[in-house]
Amino acid sequence: MTTSIKPAAKPSAAPARRGRPAKIGGTRLAVLLMLGPALVAILFFRLVPAFEAIRTSLSDPQGPFAAYDRVFADPAFQASVRQTLLFTVLVNPFQIMLALALAVLLTQRLPLVGLWRTLIFLPAALPQVVSAIIWGVLFRPDGPLNAVLNALGLPHQPFLTSKFQALPGIIILVSWVGVGYWMMFLIAGLKDIPGDTLEAAKIDGAGPLRTFFQVTLPQLKRPLLFVLVADTIANFLVFAPVETLTAGGPDRSTNLIMYDIYERAYVAGDLPAASAETFILLCIILAVVSIQFKLLPSED
Amino acid sequence: MSTGDHYQARSGSRLKRGILLALAIVATLCSVGPLWFALVSSVRPEGDIFRYLSPLSIKSIWPTTWTGSSFRTLMNTGFGWPVLNSVIVAVFTIVIGLLLCSAAAFALGVLQFRGQKFLFGVTLVGFLMPFDALAIPLSQVLTGAGFQNTFDGLILPAVGNGLAIFALRQFFRNIPRELLEAAQMDGLGWWRILFRIYLPLSKPALISAALILFVFQWHAFLWPLLIAPDPAIQVAPVAIAQFSQETFVDFGAIFAGTVITAAIPLGLLLYAQKYFVASIARSGGK
Repeated sequence: MTTSIKPAAKPSAAPARRGRPAKIGGTRLAVLLMLGPALVAILFFRLVPAFEAIRTSLSDPQGPFAAYDRVFADPAFQASVRQTLLFTVLVNPFQIMLALALAVLLTQRLPLVGLWRTLIFLPAALPQVVSAIIWGVLFRPDGPLNAVLNALGLPHQPFLTSKFQALPGIIILVSWVGVGYWMMFLIAGLKDIPGDTLEAAKIDGAGPLRTFFQVTLPQLKRPLLFVLVADTIANFLVFAPVETLTAGGPDRSTNLIMYDIYERAYVAGDLPAASAETFILLCIILAVVSIQFKLLPSED
Repeated sequence: MSTGDHYQARSGSRLKRGILLALAIVATLCSVGPLWFALVSSVRPEGDIFRYLSPLSIKSIWPTTWTGSSFRTLMNTGFGWPVLNSVIVAVFTIVIGLLLCSAAAFALGVLQFRGQKFLFGVTLVGFLMPFDALAIPLSQVLTGAGFQNTFDGLILPAVGNGLAIFALRQFFRNIPRELLEAAQMDGLGWWRILFRIYLPLSKPALISAALILFVFQWHAFLWPLLIAPDPAIQVAPVAIAQFSQETFVDFGAIFAGTVITAAIPLGLLLYAQKYFVASIARSGGK
């Protein structure tokens, strides 16, 4: 129950000297000035470009839907959708399960646990493009990863030059900076779980696995959903590693959709089609996020 | 940060703890390994980076010779300017962003007016829209409006940050209403209440919001690539990506660049880590 802010009532018989009564009539103005800039920012930097994309996508000289036809018919786009969806289905569960496992691991009573947490979080400070550059060297035929494989007697791997390993390679390098970041959210969520529920489970004789699945996980629903949605959206936007390392290849295996849009806009110079593809991407993201919300309801 | 953990292991067997510790160490090595390699490679002669990889030995990950030559090479390419640009852009983003976001958070969380919930929803949804997906159309619009290769173009799209607003709003709402009511009784207007009462009490949230704004800006790649391609105004990630794609690649210098680009956010995040985690707990977990 919130107290409503009304202009101060008329002072009664013998008012103490308290200065001017609250100027709450200024609320409307305050809202305008305080919230205005943020709303303007949303308007100019989110809504305007969205509408501009839609407008451009429909303004192809050959007709309103010509750009869409062109996009759907393009094998590069089709490969892009396939690879992006494959990427999504692989990278998100991988990152979230790993982040969850690490979060659980690092909320145990271990020696130097704060140190491990900090060090595992460290890569999250790097921009994705820096991760791409570092891993680009790591993945080289003459690079340290192959050197380690050699030392273990295992065969050389082509990594980013193989159409089968390139996408997993990108998964690894984005996960390297991502997992520590999401792990922090889950650690915070785990710490929020009241000790009593865990105590109760222990008293009831539940083993660690039962406790985890029946007590811990349900109480993690909110942070998990947050991490799932935010991570999914972020992974749909992966661009830097493709641009810097693979240029969509080999064989379009890493032609993720943001890169495809970029190429379409700036290499092919086909703005209507690029805008159409942007709109398609936005729809895909909206669809996937809606599904996630449906599948994982949280009390909100 | 370990006291007050509610979620704890059962005091398990020594063996179990040993295994968990080993897992933690392995995870840490995987995390730190590539960074270590980058760091080590940046302080050794460029030729040594690959020379000592095979056969694998301690020399693969520890310099036999130490040199600052890679950093010198890097700076000779003028890398100092992109770093400076990144810092300038980040600082302005934080200052302007904190003003905008805390005012918005205050309006959305403390003020009382009809439609507040609706506007909060609008704000969240508005900022949830994936920025990078809109980067290309936005760059078309802003280039047409004369923002290409300007600091404004780099800074302004980043000052409104939904996560920052959300975190600040949560914090503001946890400030006891008695303070607000007392201030109103004393005749303070909303702006004074915000600046004299709420903001001074909100240091942790402000630091978290500053970090959120900073990270968004420092990590930006596609947007600066589109709006600020000119070498004079390039930011560090763009510059270093370009550098890494040149024909004659100096790996030492590239690693030096990654070290510099990483050092600044690393320093800030390490320093303010606890604030970051605290804000995450408030926003994502609750």
